Amino acid sequence: MATANWRTINIDLLDPDSPSNFSLTSLLPTLAPVSLPEVQNLSSQIRQLLRGGDTEGALRGALENAPYGGDAAAKDLHLQTVSEILQSIKQSEMSPLLTRIYTSPGGPETLDVLMKYLYKGMSAPPSAPGSAGGSRSLTPQATGFSQIGGRVGGGEGGGQAMSVLLSWHEKLVEVAGMGCIVRVMTDRRTV
Amino acid sequence: MLLLDYQNVLIQSLLTERFSGSPPVSIDQVVSDFDNVAFHVSTPETRSKILISIAVKCYKELVQYGAQEVLEREYGPYIVSPEAGYDFSVLIDLDNLPSEPEAREDLIRRVSLLRRNAMAAPFERAFDDFAHRQEEASKFTSESAPEGVREGGEVMTIHYRDEEAIYIKASHDRVTVIFSTIFREETDRIYGKVFLQEFVDARRRAIQNAPQVLFRNEPPLELQNVRGLADGSHGEVGYVTFVLFPRHLTPQRRQETISHIQTFRDYFHYHIKASKAYIHSRMRRRTADFLQVLNRARPENEEKERKTASGRTFRVQG
Amino acid sequence: MTDAALKSQSLRPYLLCVRSSLTAALSLSNFASQTSERHNVPEVEAASSPEVLLNPLTVSRNENEKVLIEPSINSVRISIKIKQADEIENILVHKFTRFLTQRAEAFFILRRKPVKGYDISFLITNTHTEEMLKHKLVDFIIQFMEEVDKEISEMKLFLNARARFVAEAFLSPFD
Repeated sequence: MATANWRTINIDLLDPDSPSNFSLTSLLPTLAPVSLPEVQNLSSQIRQLLRGGDTEGALRGALENAPYGGDAAAKDLHLQTVSEILQSIKQSEMSPLLTRIYTSPGGPETLDVLMKYLYKGMSAPPSAPGSAGGSRSLTPQATGFSQIGGRVGGGEGGGQAMSVLLSWHEKLVEVAGMGCIVRVMTDRRTV
Repeated sequence: MLLLDYQNVLIQSLLTERFSGSPPVSIDQVVSDFDNVAFHVSTPETRSKILISIAVKCYKELVQYGAQEVLEREYGPYIVSPEAGYDFSVLIDLDNLPSEPEAREDLIRRVSLLRRNAMAAPFERAFDDFAHRQEEASKFTSESAPEGVREGGEVMTIHYRDEEAIYIKASHDRVTVIFSTIFREETDRIYGKVFLQEFVDARRRAIQNAPQVLFRNEPPLELQNVRGLADGSHGEVGYVTFVLFPRHLTPQRRQETISHIQTFRDYFHYHIKASKAYIHSRMRRRTADFLQVLNRARPENEEKERKTASGRTFRVQG
Repeated sequence: MTDAALKSQSLRPYLLCVRSSLTAALSLSNFASQTSERHNVPEVEAASSPEVLLNPLTVSRNENEKVLIEPSINSVRISIKIKQADEIENILVHKFTRFLTQRAEAFFILRRKPVKGYDISFLITNTHTEEMLKHKLVDFIIQFMEEVDKEISEMKLFLNARARFVAEAFLSPFD
């Protein structure tokens, strides 16, 4: 302890009444805990719908049952399910599908959840499907000339998956509007 | 100006002016040249006698490779004992110049090439060595040639800068000139690599008869017996190899080849700096563009005219 | 589809997404610090009141090109990761962003230091959105992203072209 630099200690963190220690749980509605097996169960049900060709049903099912109360693993699993559904829908079907959901009862809320998944999908490092690039970093110490030349297509890691999410984002903003993005930022229930 | 001149322009213009017949003046000037070479031009005794001295970091090495002979050949009657602090001096008596204008021109040219000539000795030696070996080798088929002929001569090292050196080696079919280069900064290192890559490729792409250029960070095989090489493992040090072929070494072309290859390092660095300067100015311009775009976000500053109580008008600033 | 066409095709949705995300995030209001009296600081930087920080948004085109938007009640921090395909682009991006950040004073919204993992960051506070036109600020960020890529490519092309020219000029007297 003798070596601790006292000046750099943020004393606010040590004060239980300090705003820094404001507990965010008071802003959250009580969420029912969701366990991993439940999410797995849900995801296999959704896959069944997807195999049956009911993409709209699958998407609705996935979004309406977002595991807010789950842990990180459960959330990641669900994200994967949602991305799978999104990848399987053709570009031309996006807008009609979104409009149908939007106009149905509870539709705008469902689409808010979709927006959350779009941003989560983009922030997460691309996972298994469609990420040929993987984690490719620059090699600054190359002694040869291998890196010189045209702008190589390197670093397109996950480009394909991202471009699907970006198209969804574009269509979703067209249908549901900006408010959708604002609600992603402000909603404390994260997916 | 794309290529660098071989001569020292300052000395050239100074002598041209002095030789033109204008009244002699006293001179005392220190002139710097590439590779930490310094000249001292002065008139120690009378105004009509100009003493030009040169200091070269690696003069001792150059003498070892025959610099004295080369300089004696070039400056014979003008040589005087070196001025204190310098390595070599020539004295030119303005009252005793050659009468023909051509000869005067030639003298100016030769004096302004002092640095080049001092550095030329090891190259000349290598070229002679090459000619000799070529002749030797022509007596044998490539298989039966004795070791000495195939191996090539000793490596001549010229430490012309604190951390950089030129290595020259003659063989029976080529003369290899290796420049060691050092880049302290990451940026320079990468710029240098881009440039060197083009030197390497140029022969393949456009100029078939140019010397072969190779670049690597580890010392090339030719230098395996040379001691005291800088360690290239951090990518700071690089070795640029020029392979001069017999067609570059003919007696008609050798002087030009020597002059030209000597300018390599300075030419190379000069263009790296020029590129950096250009990119810097580009960034400056682009930054100004960005600022303009950002300023569009400010609502128009309306230029309102206001009146004071006395009826005079003034503008509100900003 | 050619590579170039594919790229320009994916650039448009990327920028569009940044534009709408940014427009949504730039809803700022004045907010006095809760920790120290009479202070008014960008909450996203101070991070002293967790309840006024909002969920960050990431928009990414691929692993090497992304934008992080960190909203809060009175300020938004935008960080951009610029595409760098090789070490030349790496050094050019580094030089250019450094050049810009050294002039941060003139750029009002430019942060002097990028957020870790990104190449350049902007900090827009409620003062900026009050004094400047919000949609033009968004325009600026978008244009910046477009031009920076173009500029880096052009500088690299220039460097290669010049190197080639210089090398040939040096070697042709030997020919």
